[in-house]
This record gives sequence, C-alpha cells and structure tokens, in this order.
Amino acid sequence: MTAVVGAAEGPGDLQGSAARWRRRYAVDRIMRWGLPLALLVVLAPLFDMIYWIAVRALPTFTLATLTTDQVGLGGGLYAMIVGSFTLLGLATGFAAAVGIAAGMYTAEYAPPPVARWARVAGNLLAGIPAIVLGYFGYYALVLYTHWGYTTLAGGITLGVFMVPFIYRTADLAFANVPSEQREAALAMGARPGQYLTRVAWPIALPAILSGVFLAMAIGLGETAPLLYTAGWSSTPVAGLFQPTSFLTGAIWNFYDYPATEGSFQALAFQAAFLLLVLVIGLNVVVQAVAERYRRRTRGMRA
Amino acid sequence: MDEPHPPGDRSGPDRPPAFLGPPAPAAPAPPRRERSLGRWLGSPLALAPLLLLGIVVAVLAIASEGQNFGLSFWGPVWAFNPTDPAGSTYGIALFALGTAITAGAALLLASGLSLAISIALTVYLPPRTSRVLTTLTDLLAGIPSVVYGIWGFVVLAPYFASSLEPTLRNALGWLPGFGGPESAIGGGSGLLLGIFILTLMVIPLTTAVMRESLRSVPRELVEAGLALGATPWEVVRRVRLRVARRGLWGAVFLGFGRAVGESVALAMVLGNTVQFPPSLYGGSSTIASFIFTQLDSAFFYPELLRALVEFALVILILTIAFNLLGQRAVSEVRPRAVAGAGGRA
Amino acid sequence: MTEPERGGPRGSDPILSVRHLTVRAPNRTILDDVSLDFEDREVAAIIGPSGCGKTTLVRALNRMAEVAPGIRIEGSVRYRGEEIYDPAVNPVLVRQRIGMVFQRPVPFPMSIYENVAFGLRLQGIDEEELDRTVRRSLEQAGLWKELDGDVERSGLTLSGGQQQRLCIARALAVKPRILLMDEPAASLDPTATQRIEELIFDLRKEYAVILVTHNMQQAARVAERTAFFYQGRLIEYSDTHQLFENPREKLTESYVTGRFG
Repeated sequence: MTAVVGAAEGPGDLQGSAARWRRRYAVDRIMRWGLPLALLVVLAPLFDMIYWIAVRALPTFTLATLTTDQVGLGGGLYAMIVGSFTLLGLATGFAAAVGIAAGMYTAEYAPPPVARWARVAGNLLAGIPAIVLGYFGYYALVLYTHWGYTTLAGGITLGVFMVPFIYRTADLAFANVPSEQREAALAMGARPGQYLTRVAWPIALPAILSGVFLAMAIGLGETAPLLYTAGWSSTPVAGLFQPTSFLTGAIWNFYDYPATEGSFQALAFQAAFLLLVLVIGLNVVVQAVAERYRRRTRGMRA
Repeated sequence: MDEPHPPGDRSGPDRPPAFLGPPAPAAPAPPRRERSLGRWLGSPLALAPLLLLGIVVAVLAIASEGQNFGLSFWGPVWAFNPTDPAGSTYGIALFALGTAITAGAALLLASGLSLAISIALTVYLPPRTSRVLTTLTDLLAGIPSVVYGIWGFVVLAPYFASSLEPTLRNALGWLPGFGGPESAIGGGSGLLLGIFILTLMVIPLTTAVMRESLRSVPRELVEAGLALGATPWEVVRRVRLRVARRGLWGAVFLGFGRAVGESVALAMVLGNTVQFPPSLYGGSSTIASFIFTQLDSAFFYPELLRALVEFALVILILTIAFNLLGQRAVSEVRPRAVAGAGGRA
Repeated sequence: MTEPERGGPRGSDPILSVRHLTVRAPNRTILDDVSLDFEDREVAAIIGPSGCGKTTLVRALNRMAEVAPGIRIEGSVRYRGEEIYDPAVNPVLVRQRIGMVFQRPVPFPMSIYENVAFGLRLQGIDEEELDRTVRRSLEQAGLWKELDGDVERSGLTLSGGQQQRLCIARALAVKPRILLMDEPAASLDPTATQRIEELIFDLRKEYAVILVTHNMQQAARVAERTAFFYQGRLIEYSDTHQLFENPREKLTESYVTGRFG
C-alpha cells in the first residue's frame, strides 16, 4: 500500500503501477465518460418532444392557421393568438410597472432590512404554484367582482404571476450598477433622482429588458392562472370585460380529442408548435440582451 | 492584476438564472442624508412583492370562509363521486398521496440526474461544449407545461401502455409498485408517466441551482485538491460536493416546491382518477392537478369550492416552506463565490 | 537565447530540468522557450515583475497550468530524468511528487487533521501510518506545538499564517520531492512571513523548493539560486548573491536595483 508514497527512487517514479492507483484512475475515467450520459437522458426527450410536435403540427400548418378563427371542429388559431397577446400585453404592463418600480426601490432606496424582506417575498411569490394564483384570480376577480370570465381578470392574474420574475431582474440590474458610477455621479453634484434617471437607468435597462422578456416567455406558456379567469371564447377578444381564448387553453381544451375527430387535436399541436417557437424565440432574445449587458458592465469595471 | 473577477467570470455562461435565489445585495446602502421624496414614496413600493403575497394569502383565507378549515385529511374519500360532489366529504389523503408519490419520485430522479449533469458541465466537459449544453438545459425550463402535457398524453402514453409498462411489469413485478394488476396499465396515463414528465420539468431548475452552487466553489480549493494529487473525481467528491453541500440541498428544496405546485401537465398525463393507486401504472390525482380539473365545476358547488381552497392553501404552505428552506441554503452560494475568486499573478 | 546550462553545471543530476518550455494562452504567449535546471535540496527563487510568467512557470512544473482552459504547453520538463509531459504519465502522479503551495492560504473546510490527511486518504494509507504522517507533517510545518495537539478543530479557525503553514503541512504529507511555492507569504503579515521564511529555510534539508516571489529581499534571504523572468523569458539564472550583487544582464540590474517593476 505504501509503495506509492515517497519511497520510490529513480525512474519509474511517475508510472504509478499500484493497484490502488489503477482503481482511482479508473473511477475518474468512468465518471468522466459516464456523467455526461445524464445529459443525454435529459436532452433526448427534449428533442423527441420538439420532433413529435413538429411532426403533428407542420403537415396542416399554413398561413391560414394563423389568420382564421376556429370554426366548428377546425379552423385556425387566430382568436387564440390575439387572446394570448392581449393577455400577455395586459399582464406585462401590470407586471413591468410593479416589478421594475419595486426592484428599483429595493435596490436603491429601501433600508437593508426592508430590502431583505422584499427580496424574500419576491422569491416566495415566484414560488407560488400557478394553480393557486388561478384560484386566487377566480375567487377575487371572477366570483367576488361578479365580472365573470374576463380578459382583464386573466391579464391581472397572469400579471401577478409575472411580477416576481421582473422584480428580481430589476433589483439585480440596479444593484449591479458599479458603485463607482454612483459615486462619480453624486460627486459631480447630481441629486439621487438624477443619478437614477440619467446614470443607473440606462446601465440597468438591458438587464431589465431581458427580465421582462423572460417573464413574457414564462407568462406566454402558462395555463393555470388563465383557465378560470379569462374563460374561453371561439371568437377574437371583444373587450376587456369579455372572455377570451388563448394558445395554452387551446392545447388544454383540445389535447384529448381523438386524432380522427375533425382537426381539434391538430389544432392543439399547432398551438403547441407555435408556443414552442415563440418561447424559444423569446429565450434567444433574452440571451442576446443579457450577453450585451454583460459586455457593457464588464467594460465598465475593467 | 489583483482586481476581483466579476462574480461569474470564470467558466461557462454566467447569466445567473433568474430564479436563482436572492441576489447578493451588492449595492451599498445609500448615504443617510438621501431623504428624497422617492425614498418615502418608495418604501411601500419595495414591499409590493410582500403586499401581493399577502393579498393572495388573504383572499385564499377569506375564500375558505373560516368555517370549514378543519380539513378532513382522512375523510372517506373513496365515497367521493365526481358527478355529484355536493355534500360529499373531501378528504385530502388520496390527493396528498398522489402529490407525495409524483413529487417524491420525480425529485429523487431529478436530483440524481441534475447532480450528474452539473458535475459534467462544471468539471468534465470542455467550456465551449458546456456552454452550449447549459443553454439547452436552461431551454427546457422555458417549455410550457401544456406542451409537456400534450407530448406525454399523445406521444408517450401509447408507448408506455403498449411496451414500456408491460415490460417493466414482467421484469420488475416483484418490486412494490411495479407489479399489480395488468388492468392498471390502461391507456398509459398514470403515475409512471406523471413521474417521468414531472422529472423532466423539475430538472432545469435543480440543474441550474446545482450547477451554480458547484461553480461557486472557490477555484483555489479545487486547485489545492488537484495539487495534492487528487484525481478530478476525488476533488469533486471530497472538495466540491462538500463545499457546495448547502446549495445542492437548496436545489432539492426548490425543486420540491416546483414539483408540488405543478398542475396542468399532471392533469394531462396522470389519468385524474381518485383512487388508491394499485401500482405505478395506475391513474392518480395530485392536490394541484385536482384543483385544476375541478375548479370549473366548483362554480355550481360552493362546498367543492371551499374544499378546493383548502387544497390550494395546503400546497401554498408547502411551497412557501420549501422555498424558504431552499432560499436559505442557496443564498449562501453567491457571496462565497465572489470571495473565492481572488486574482493571481 | 537562453542556454540550458546558464546557471552553471552542478555536481549532481538536477531533480527537475526544464527545456524549451513554452506556454501559450489563447491570445498571448505567457512563457517563451524557457530552459533551466533545479537541484535537489536547494531553494530556488523565481523573481520578476507582475505578469512575467513566474506563476505560470511553477504551475507548468507540476502540470497545474493545464487546469485552466485554453492553455497550450510545449517543450520538456524532466523530473529525475522522466518526462512529466509524456502522454503515458498521469498529471495526478506528477502532482504527488511535486507538491504546491498557493498564494492565498486555502484550507479545506474540514478539521486540521483531515486537511493534512487529505492526500494520504486518497492513497489508502492505513490509520496508524496516517496518524504518524499527519503529526510529522504538522511538526515539519512548525504547527504541531502551537496547536497543542488539538487537530480536530476546523482549519478555518487558524490565523492566516497558521493556515498557510497548514497548507504546507498538507503538501508535505503526500511526501513530495519538490515543493512549489507561489508567493506563499504574499497575503501574510511580517511576523507570519518570517515564520514561513524560516520554514522554507528548514525544508531545504529534505526537499527541493521552488519559490515564486515578488519580494526580492525574501529571495535574497532564503534562496541559493535565483531566476529573473521578464515578459515570459528567462533573463538570468544564477547564484542568488551573484544575481543581486553582480548581475550579468542590464535588465536584471535595473530590476534588482528597483528601477522598474
């Protein structure tokens, strides 16, 4: 056992022939080649999913899919696309206003204990299951208000869901503005408000935007906060106090129709395909914006 | 030469995932005299997340109307009749069992796979490959639940029913959960498919947190291990895992919070039966998926509505508890990473 | 260019001989065609301004340089006649023979005992031998007496200087023949630095020590021989006294007299 240690003299010192060494080396090899297989286990289903959704959606996917209403058992996704983006617009407006303002104040103004609690609350809010928010929206905005299913209720519920994602990136974006920038601005006689609008805001903006896009990508894919707040409608959204359909709802409503019955299931797959494209696209945008932001702040610190 | 590296400057894509714990409060507290209007106006704004959280909890508490809060955990759920819910007793036991089985098994699988993936990404794979693969695993997080659901129901379920589940039943039938009556297999929807889908859905979160935890192990400790003649694997086992321990547990807790709350995908692949599952091939319901599938009929049955709000409160409390645990563990990850990234000549 | 025998031929075979060592990072050459020999049971100091490649040199001597991504290494390093960059040689074994102490003290977050035992446990040393080696290593590092036998407390509870000596003990425990030290006292106060220097002086009786330092006085105090590096090249390598008092090269002279760096 001790042969490997110290005692060896002369050439052969670096050869390591002891059985124990061979075992240690073998274990390392096994891990080096074995652990990456876990990636395969996880990524293979991802590609399988993308493949099958494309296979089921593309043969019947035409421009008309995007531009026509759902008619009977067939038709297109027009109403759902309009509904999804209306809901997303309302939600993003609400979430961005609350999230960015709260993030800015947390990073710039809040006394440390307040900031700490606000951050914890933000993370907890992000952890609330979507269906719990769905229930919240259903009870508070559909039943209690006697509005019934409305686009507005759906937008607000989805907005509450998106707030923490925007809040956290906004907080981080302002907190990450190099402190030299603040000192330089204040040293030149800028008031704190001026520092915020003229110095911190432009620096933090790309990061905030990437947070907003990220929240939009997440919000676009949600079903649970919407199903019992926005309701359903087979015609395009007619007003804030009318119900609306949306893309994820199309999947939920049509996924278990037999493939032979009309084209309901095809419609569900087309919606799934469209969602994949949109979500992946938004993620690419997030990456690009984040990359740009990283370069900018890095240059500033160097 | 000695300027500190920016926190994530070492390897791989360094965008911290947005869901990764609270950021290290990098900004120093503003000087005392800054008593601008914004500051006073701002304090309640900074509390907006807390306020929203409070509103949600308060609404749910009001919705339960206080009177029915004594949950009949062990109520005779098997007397439950979905077509006539009014007047039935809503025990939570079977749904809690469904949640425990799906979330527990998914977490077990996801933790193992995520650990393997994060070690591969941070230690063994070349940086460029690691960067590409990190982007891909992060992409998994963005895929909507319903998309997992429709893929599971339409593509996987028939395969599970026709080949995977019969094969497993023949080969592993002696293991508890893998045997049971053949009739349980049905159309493929059931616990096994639910666990599979849920595992895939949890992995991006657990992987991201574990990956960042491992990445934040100070490079000097790793090099010290290597310089003492440890193989890379020995450094992983004896140094990296030890130093990153808390963050790794944080990943498991955060993942559990996510798994408990998942509703849509499970509602699509779990079969939505209310029964004591005869085996892993049998259908089931979780607390979250039951709320999701029943909320529309609740409109007509006030009692069901109240039962469901209690279900919602249970998973809300569970997720808050696990998120708090997870956050506590993860919050220690980043500052240490910064402290460890000293410069060298 | 640098002659292999620049330091002058010595009596015995060198324990480490470096020939035409070139280390490249993706966008620059860090070390350019370096050749020199290190003798057993001697302290050699590597000096030079920041960024001259001295850290990279010692990291290339026990194959730690390749741990950083994108590093390419050419040339030859022979340890007692054996090529350490031979594809058949595993870097892990090289690092067992050629130990390393870093700039900042980095104890593992575990007990003092486990810190020192770290490398030994990997080799499957039995408990009895383990106890003995841990104790001897702590004694060698001058830490045993100060600890009063309390080796179960966390290594992180020690002072900076003690932590660094713990790291030295940890490196000695695997019984290397050569100890590479990269600015071991850079982050320590003068008293702790002095203890480290005394320790290095003692270690010479059993080991070859290669010490990177930006502190010329330190080099003059502890090293028999000193190599001066500038911009990735070995400028001069000779007896410490000669290098400081009578340098052959103009560049060396201006550096040791403090005209730059």
